Amino acid sequence: MTWIRHASENGGSVLYLTGAWRLGDLRPIAAALESLSLSGPRPFVLDGSGLEEMDTAAAFILYRYLASLGCTEATVSLRAVEPRLERLLDLVRERMQSPPVRARSMHRGLLGRVGASAVNVWRLLKAHNAFIGMIALELLDLVRRPRLFRARETVSQFETVCLDAIPVVCLITFLIGVVLAYLLGVQAQRFGAGIFVVDGVGLAICRELSPILVAVVVAGRSGAAFTAQIGAMKVQEEVDAISTLGLSPVQVLVIPRLVAITAALPLLVFVGDLMGILGGIGVASWQLGIAPSVFVDRLHSVLPMSAFVVGVAKAPVFAIVIAAIACRMGLVVSRDARSVGENTTSTVVQCIVSVIVLDAVFAVALQRLGI
Amino acid sequence: MENPVLRVESVVTRFGRSVVHDGVSFAVARGEIVALIGGSGSGKSVLVKEAIGLSRPTAGRIHLLDADVWGLTREELNALRRRFGMLFQDGALFSSLTVAENIAVPFREHTDLPDALIAPLVGFKLSLVGLPADTGGKRPAELSGGMRKRVALARALALEPEVVFLDEPTSGLDPINARAFDDLVRALRDSLGLTVFIVTHDLDSLLSIVDRVIVLSGGKVIADGPVREVKAMAHPWIKEYFSARAAAT
Repeated sequence: MTWIRHASENGGSVLYLTGAWRLGDLRPIAAALESLSLSGPRPFVLDGSGLEEMDTAAAFILYRYLASLGCTEATVSLRAVEPRLERLLDLVRERMQSPPVRARSMHRGLLGRVGASAVNVWRLLKAHNAFIGMIALELLDLVRRPRLFRARETVSQFETVCLDAIPVVCLITFLIGVVLAYLLGVQAQRFGAGIFVVDGVGLAICRELSPILVAVVVAGRSGAAFTAQIGAMKVQEEVDAISTLGLSPVQVLVIPRLVAITAALPLLVFVGDLMGILGGIGVASWQLGIAPSVFVDRLHSVLPMSAFVVGVAKAPVFAIVIAAIACRMGLVVSRDARSVGENTTSTVVQCIVSVIVLDAVFAVALQRLGI
Repeated sequence: MENPVLRVESVVTRFGRSVVHDGVSFAVARGEIVALIGGSGSGKSVLVKEAIGLSRPTAGRIHLLDADVWGLTREELNALRRRFGMLFQDGALFSSLTVAENIAVPFREHTDLPDALIAPLVGFKLSLVGLPADTGGKRPAELSGGMRKRVALARALALEPEVVFLDEPTSGLDPINARAFDDLVRALRDSLGLTVFIVTHDLDSLLSIVDRVIVLSGGKVIADGPVREVKAMAHPWIKEYFSARAAAT
């Protein structure tokens, strides 16, 4: 296929177009144009007597080539082109003035990226802080006008956050109790101190592991759900509709979730405590020969009440942080589907990191306070 | 009609107990601009989805570009899909990609063109639908509704289709933008020989650019003909439809 042939006639240049100029053959067509190795600018006549078909992409490539030679509308004329193809060529010529598009790209160096993410983290923390302040103000409003409280929404959230999470919390804490008792048991047995497994399991589960594990599970389950739900509402402009109806999105969307999760987390931690200890009892009786009654008896005498209280008391703090992060990330979704996914992922990461950081702060602070 | 581009033969669609289409038949010839109108919930969009192989009708046959849409294998259907374009109601642009990347998707997936050729082609497609070149670097979320529709049209036209389906192309556009969109569609039809199948309830589009109107009501085609003829018909739904327009203008 030749596509295009150049000839000099009566001192002018004629380009004979032949065949079907279609998108599928664009590569050979572009190559054929390049191989003409013409130089311009000079007047050209396009002869379409052999042209069967042409689509916009092919016409564009032709005109782009002519433009690259410096030809303008005045120096290119058409000859013997079918009317419909002439219309097409005209449409393409009219519409092609704009320069080619390049997707924008911003490449930063390593230092620049580190700096940018540091600034982003700082902004994020500031914004989260401000959001917690805003929730506090709205809560104050709620105290003044209790009628604003949405009991039905809160209860329904509580059901999904707390009741529906019980099976997975049970499974995870039970298994961690099993693993912990097993590991401690192996060590303790060497010293003939098998009974100390009870101390270890009780303390570790109640004070640290159950609160952390439950918070992580809830961050993954409910935190992600909050962001996705609120984010989807944001995309559908439901959040704007709430504001337009004279309601506060924080009152309608955030506070019910916050209250539900704050009430749910300590209860889940308690469930986790029980299941973790149950796991420990199982391993102790099966592997170490410590009867369940002995285990429970020992637990009563060695597990201080403070360990349990500390564990359960940490839960509402984790809950507030999870709810605040998750709801804010939902509210700042921009109006596209991708943003919902990104913010949901970000919520889970942020929540888990915050929970662990807070837990470390608790550990150090309580140690200093001697609790 | 000889060798129509789209032929719908006694299509029946049921969702559970509700009957959406109860024997719908019509045909669209090459180079025609045809509008399918009907009230909300009359199954216009469903019919388009059935015509382009997204949702299977309960009974009946649909021929698009000489192929029986629901008798094709996956590969054949995908090959057919390169020959028509679809403009979805909200544009359905991929939100994770820039405008330029959105339009480049069909080129990258279905042609072997090098990037050096795709980039200028994308720029050309943007200007073809009347958008400035700097739109290419933006994200769909940054565009207005009208611009999004134009980008979606540019994407639908990328592979030089023989037929385009437009689902409510001008809904959500201001009258000036809507008219500009109509002019664009007509210019493309006149010069590219495109067949255009529009699903709409926007009457302004109807009167200015459409060759023929098909009216869907109660699961059946109640009218099929040029705008003027359909307007003159005595069917109560059609009368009400056009009198609503007269009252509005």
